[in-house]
Amino acid sequence: MSTPTPNYTPRRANWLSTNTQGSQALDLDPEAFDEGFGFDEIEEIAWDAAPLTQAAPQVETIDAAKVSVVVDNASKVYRIRSNSEHRKNTKRISRQVQKVLGSGWAEIPALEGLSFVVNRGETVGVIGTNGSGKSTLMKLLTGKIRPSSGEVYATSTPIMLGVNAALVRQISGRENIRLGCLAMGLSPKQAAERFDMIVEISGLQDALDMPLKAYSSGMQSRLQFAIATAVDPDILLIDEALNTGDAQFRARTKKRLDEVRAQAGCVFLVSHSLGTIKQMCTRVIWIEQGRMLADGDPEWVCSQYEEYTDHKSSGRMRSAQIVYDRTLLKLSPVQVEFEEGTRPTKAG
Amino acid sequence: MAAPAAEQRHTPRFELGPARIVQMDGSKLVRVGARPGFFQYLREIWRFRHFLQYDAHARTSSQNNLDSMGRVWMVLNPLLQAAVYFFIFGYILETHRGVVNFIGYLIIGVLTFRFIQGAVVSGSNSIASNQNVVQSFNFPRATLPISSTIRELFATVPTFVVMALLVYFIGDYQIGDMERAPITLDWKWLMFFPAIFLALLVMTGISLVLARLVAQFNDMKHIISIGVRLWFYASAVIFSVDRFADRGHDWIMTVMHFNPAFCVLDIIRDAWMYDGIGEPFRWAVLGGWAAGAMVIGMIIFWRGEETYGRER
Repeated sequence: MSTPTPNYTPRRANWLSTNTQGSQALDLDPEAFDEGFGFDEIEEIAWDAAPLTQAAPQVETIDAAKVSVVVDNASKVYRIRSNSEHRKNTKRISRQVQKVLGSGWAEIPALEGLSFVVNRGETVGVIGTNGSGKSTLMKLLTGKIRPSSGEVYATSTPIMLGVNAALVRQISGRENIRLGCLAMGLSPKQAAERFDMIVEISGLQDALDMPLKAYSSGMQSRLQFAIATAVDPDILLIDEALNTGDAQFRARTKKRLDEVRAQAGCVFLVSHSLGTIKQMCTRVIWIEQGRMLADGDPEWVCSQYEEYTDHKSSGRMRSAQIVYDRTLLKLSPVQVEFEEGTRPTKAG
Repeated sequence: MAAPAAEQRHTPRFELGPARIVQMDGSKLVRVGARPGFFQYLREIWRFRHFLQYDAHARTSSQNNLDSMGRVWMVLNPLLQAAVYFFIFGYILETHRGVVNFIGYLIIGVLTFRFIQGAVVSGSNSIASNQNVVQSFNFPRATLPISSTIRELFATVPTFVVMALLVYFIGDYQIGDMERAPITLDWKWLMFFPAIFLALLVMTGISLVLARLVAQFNDMKHIISIGVRLWFYASAVIFSVDRFADRGHDWIMTVMHFNPAFCVLDIIRDAWMYDGIGEPFRWAVLGGWAAGAMVIGMIIFWRGEETYGRER
């Protein structure tokens, strides 16, 4: 009998055909699969008009009172100035013009359209290798940049808590703390109240009156993080914050972080530490190559991620690709629909 | 025969994730990063007034901390600048013909225009040069151009004190055939304050427009520096307006009379040196500019609110 068992059918589904914006890395040559795998018979699945994943969408209605964050098909393509763009240009004259001007636009796709809904009380871990688009997603969530397509909706503006809070280099740490607090919308009274707490968390009592340019990079990130903890946001984003600083600083911040997390309605946690993620999160989103690969149970997503990174780090690119595709096929793509006329447009 | 053996081998069935459609009532949600309504935006700016004021203050006080002479430069710089202009335009080129109290005229022109120029240039760069602050905090972006013009005002206070002293003591000093009118200190000197206040509004409005332009097209920086130079010559800073009238270029005079910078200079000169309170027409032009620039600038800047955080 050469027919494979019904339960074990290697399927080659050309699901990319319905997704024309598939990235280069995923555009696998089907012939390449045939070599070396030993699958003599591969059941071809032809799903032309109605692929299986889209055949029978499950329609569910969500209680609006529970929803905290809705990401509706948000994507991001960065468009930045670059002086090496002329190399990509194929037209000879415009290429020369660009070369002489030394100016051009580079388009960098960072995130493909992704959708998910996060309810109140959830702690969502976000994982992915470097450059996969995690930080872009965080920027979209906080509204610092606007998605190229799609939108992000939330009950209130999410606040990022991390080491990116930029400061003014010329002025002292003391002034930076006050300036940062005011920039986050605290009143001068509130800023004065929280001053001591910020200083204590940062542990920079001795360096407060030095200008910021005299700070080491570690001291700067400690100060930035301490300033960022001054607010109590309802929707909280934590970006790699747990990994900065020495052991002493981590111990100090842990307490404050727990406080902030406890009062926040909904937390996003970006980290490379799977231990932290599994311990704290009720749900994990895995983003890879600008695409959402998985969204669900922390244990399962983390195990897939570990398998993927393990293959990658040992140079087994094809195995990594299989994990990637397999995980992606298991993802339930979400499509958000608002009731007639309730699509939010106003600002928070 | 083969089938039961295969069933014993445990292979989990591979299931594709089903597509989901999530329906909900979005009336309680807001769009993240959305631009608020115009009046809400103004209220937001008011809510952030402490940030605005503290930002202006902190940066002014740290402006000269790289110089070993520190804040002395806040006084010395305008003094030297006035001296240079006097030497070139008053002494060598002799542009003083037809101007009463030319030394005072020149000092007021050069130092006040310096404030106007500084406010416009720093205001127009305020978004582009503060990208890191823009990307890390959520606040109404209009606070940045506004705070940079206010910062310029703070930084120019010593200059204005120097200017008042110079005008009072040596403004009517004669060199060669210069004409002279006595300068007396009286209540009319106070006309300086409303004039500078209106000038500040004009500068803020212009800065708001230019800040959006520079944030969108960095190339504007070059055009602004040329434009400011042109504006300098169109504001009768170092010579009298009448020079153009003599030559028959009447249209230049019309342009000047509708130029807010010229109006400011003329009002201050009138109040400090010629014992007047400024022509009503000058006040009207300046007031019109102040109101128009603020309203138009605010609206133009507000409409671009969502674009300022992007990478460049």
